[in-house]
Amino acid sequence: MVSNQILQNTIDGLKSITRRDFSILDDDARVVATTIEGTIGEYRLEVEDFINSHADSQEMQGNHYFKIFDEYTVEYVIAIKGEDEEAYKLGKLAAFQIKNLLVAYKERFDKDNFIKNLLLDNLLLVDIYNRAKKLHIENAVRRVVILVESYHNRESNIPEILRNMFPDKTKDFITAVDEKSVILVKEVEEGKDIEHISNTARIIFDTLSAEEISNIYISVGTIVDDLKDVSRSYKEASMALEVGKIFNSENHISTYAELGIGRLIYQLPLQLCQMFIQEVLQGKTIDEFDEETLNTVNKFFENSLNVSETSRQLYIHRNTLVYRLDKLQKQTGLDLRRFDHAITFKITIMVSQYMAYMEQNTFSQQYN
Amino acid sequence: MAGLNLKNVYKKYPNGFVAVKDFSLEIEDQEFIIFVGPSGCGKSTTLRMIAGLEEITSGEIWIGDKLCNDVAPKDRDIAMVFQNYALYPHMTVYDNMAFGLKLRKTPKAEIDKRVREAARILDIDENLDRKPKALSGGQRQRVAMGRAIVREPKVFLMDEPLSNLDAKLRVQMRTEISKLHQRLQTTFIYVTHDQTEALTLGTRIVVMKDGIIKQVDAPGKLYAEPDNLFVASFIGSPQMNFIEAKADKRGDDVFLTFGNSEVILEKAKADKIIEGGYIGKDVIMGIRPEDIADMNTVLDVEKDKYTPIIANVEVTEMLGSETFLYMVCEGNNITARVDPTCEAREGDDLKIGIEKSKIHVFDAETELTITN
Repeated sequence: MVSNQILQNTIDGLKSITRRDFSILDDDARVVATTIEGTIGEYRLEVEDFINSHADSQEMQGNHYFKIFDEYTVEYVIAIKGEDEEAYKLGKLAAFQIKNLLVAYKERFDKDNFIKNLLLDNLLLVDIYNRAKKLHIENAVRRVVILVESYHNRESNIPEILRNMFPDKTKDFITAVDEKSVILVKEVEEGKDIEHISNTARIIFDTLSAEEISNIYISVGTIVDDLKDVSRSYKEASMALEVGKIFNSENHISTYAELGIGRLIYQLPLQLCQMFIQEVLQGKTIDEFDEETLNTVNKFFENSLNVSETSRQLYIHRNTLVYRLDKLQKQTGLDLRRFDHAITFKITIMVSQYMAYMEQNTFSQQYN
Repeated sequence: MAGLNLKNVYKKYPNGFVAVKDFSLEIEDQEFIIFVGPSGCGKSTTLRMIAGLEEITSGEIWIGDKLCNDVAPKDRDIAMVFQNYALYPHMTVYDNMAFGLKLRKTPKAEIDKRVREAARILDIDENLDRKPKALSGGQRQRVAMGRAIVREPKVFLMDEPLSNLDAKLRVQMRTEISKLHQRLQTTFIYVTHDQTEALTLGTRIVVMKDGIIKQVDAPGKLYAEPDNLFVASFIGSPQMNFIEAKADKRGDDVFLTFGNSEVILEKAKADKIIEGGYIGKDVIMGIRPEDIADMNTVLDVEKDKYTPIIANVEVTEMLGSETFLYMVCEGNNITARVDPTCEAREGDDLKIGIEKSKIHVFDAETELTITN
C-alpha cells in the first residue's frame, strides 16, 4: 500500500499550491500525514464517527473531511482546514488525487505480483491470460529475462537505476523474487536478436558500474514469444548466471544461448567428473599446467584451432606456438591441432573449473 | 586531486583465469595515464580494480595516502565514464547529471551548483532542460562526462569512452577530453585499445599484454625506444617491420644478415650486439616504415645515414603527402612510408635505404630490445 511518506509528500505539494493545511487519517481515525506540525499520530474521535456514518464528506470543527475509498471500504480520510466553499472544492480535489494514487499503486503492486508469480510458475495458463488482460499486459509480445546480481545487492540502487534506464512500465518490468538478484523482463522489438540483448546487458553493466555498484554479474535468457514462456526465459537466465560464473567469470555477462557445453557439464555428477579427469590427465590436475600454456590453449580454442591467427593474437611467432603445442602433446598425449583431441582437452579444462567451483561452494557453505 | 600507487596487484578469477599479474605503477597527481593493449590484456580489469568494482586478489591500491583495498567504490573519490553508458531517457540533461548525487543524498543546493558548473565547463548549459533523445552524439557524450564531473572526484577513470562514436566525432571528443584534463587539473586514467588515442592523449602510456605491464613511458619514448618486440609491434601504424636475421661481425663492423641481404649497424648499436654476446646468434631486426627511404630520392649528402637493400615492390599506395610501398625482401614483407616523389611501380626491384640510427634489434628468444 502507499507509504505514509508518499502521502506526506503529496499533501506537502498540495499545500504549496493551495496554501491550505491538509491532514490524512487512517481508518482508525489517527493522523498518518499532515502539514500541521505536532499532530502526527493524533486520534480524532469525531472522525471515527464520520467513518462509521453514511456521509462521504462532512464539515466539523473548522475542517472539511472527505472519505477515500478502496473498493467499498474507507481507506483514508482527508481533512482540509477551512469551512468556506473553496476549502470544500480543494478538499474534494485532494481526495480525488489521493484516490488515484491508491489506484495507481494498487495496479503497480498487482503487476509486480503477477510478474513474480509468472516467473515462478505459480499461475495456471488460464489465469495468466485473464490476469494479463486485466492488467493491460500484452500476451503475444517478444520478451526476454535479464538477471542482475551484485554481492551488495540489498543496499544497492539497482532497481531504481534499472527503472530509470527502462522507464516504460507497460513494456518492461523490474522485480525480484529473492534477495540475490534483480529481474528485468524486457520487451524486445521485432527484428532485434539476442546480440542486441547482449549489448543491452553490456549497457546495464556499464551504467551500474558508473553508478559505483561493484561485483556485478548479468545473465540473459532466450527471447520468448508468449507471456506463458517468460518463466522459461527466467530459468534460462538463472542457469546462465551460475554457469557463467563457473566458466566465464571474468566477463561478468553470460547469455543462455552461448553457454554451449558448459550447460551440460554443469549438470554432471562430481564423481563422473573426477573419473574423467583421472582418465585424461592420468593423475595430474589442470592446475599443474603453467599459465602460459593454458593461456595459449585458450586462445587457440578461441581462434578455432587456427595456428596463424592464434600466434598473431598472442603476438608470438608461429614456431613458438607450434613448440608450445608440441610440448603439451608430450605431457598429455593430446595433439590440440586435431579436433577430437582439442575437444577432449577443452572439456577437461571446463570440468576442472566446474569441480573447483563446486568444491569452493561446498567449502563456503560449510563455513558460512 | 590525488596520485595513485598500485603495488603488486593481482587479479585471479574463481575459474582460474589470471587477468592481471604483479601490476605495480605509481601515478602522479594530475597525470593523464593511458592503459593500452589488445583485447583481454587486463587493462579494463585494472581500471575496475582501481574503481573498487572488482576485488583485488592480492597487492595494494593507494589513492592519495589512503589504502583502498577494502574501501567501497563510493568512498574512493573517483568517477567513471564507460563505453556503453546509458542516459536515462525520461530525465532531462539536468536530472541525468544530478542523478548520482541524488542517490548519495547530496543537498539540493549543492547538486544545483555542481550541475550548472559542470554544464558550463562542458558547454551544455543551454541544453539542461532537454531530454537525451533531443541531443547529438557529442552532446550525449558530454552529458556522460558531466555525470562524472559533478562528483568532483580526485581521479577520473575512463574505459574506452569514445569507442561507440563515429571516427569524426571521436577525433573531436579526443581534443575535448584533453582540454577537460587541462581545465580540471585532476588525475585521469584512460583505457583504450586505440593507439592513436593513447599517443595523443597520454602524458604516460602503460602498454599491457596478458595482464602484465610491458612498458611504461611517455608517448614519444615508447614509440622511439620500445623495450620489447610486443611494444614495438603494438605501437605505430603501419606496424614496425620485423625481419629474422643473424648478427655477424666482419672487422670492426657488425651486420645483420638475412638471406643474401645484410644491413650494417652503427657503432653504438654494434657495440651492444657485441657486449650482449649476440654475434653468430639469431636476432630480430625492427624498422619503422618511415625509417625506410627510396634511395633514388635521398640526397647524396644524406646517403651515409642509410644501409641499402633491394626489395621487390608488390603494391604502391599514393596518399598525396606520402606513398606507402608494400615490398618483399628475402621472403620478408616490408612496408615503407616514403616521399611522394618516389616513382617505384609494382614489380620493380627497388634499392631502399634502412636508416641506421633507427634500427631496433631484439633478442629472438626473450623478445627484449638489445640496442636501446
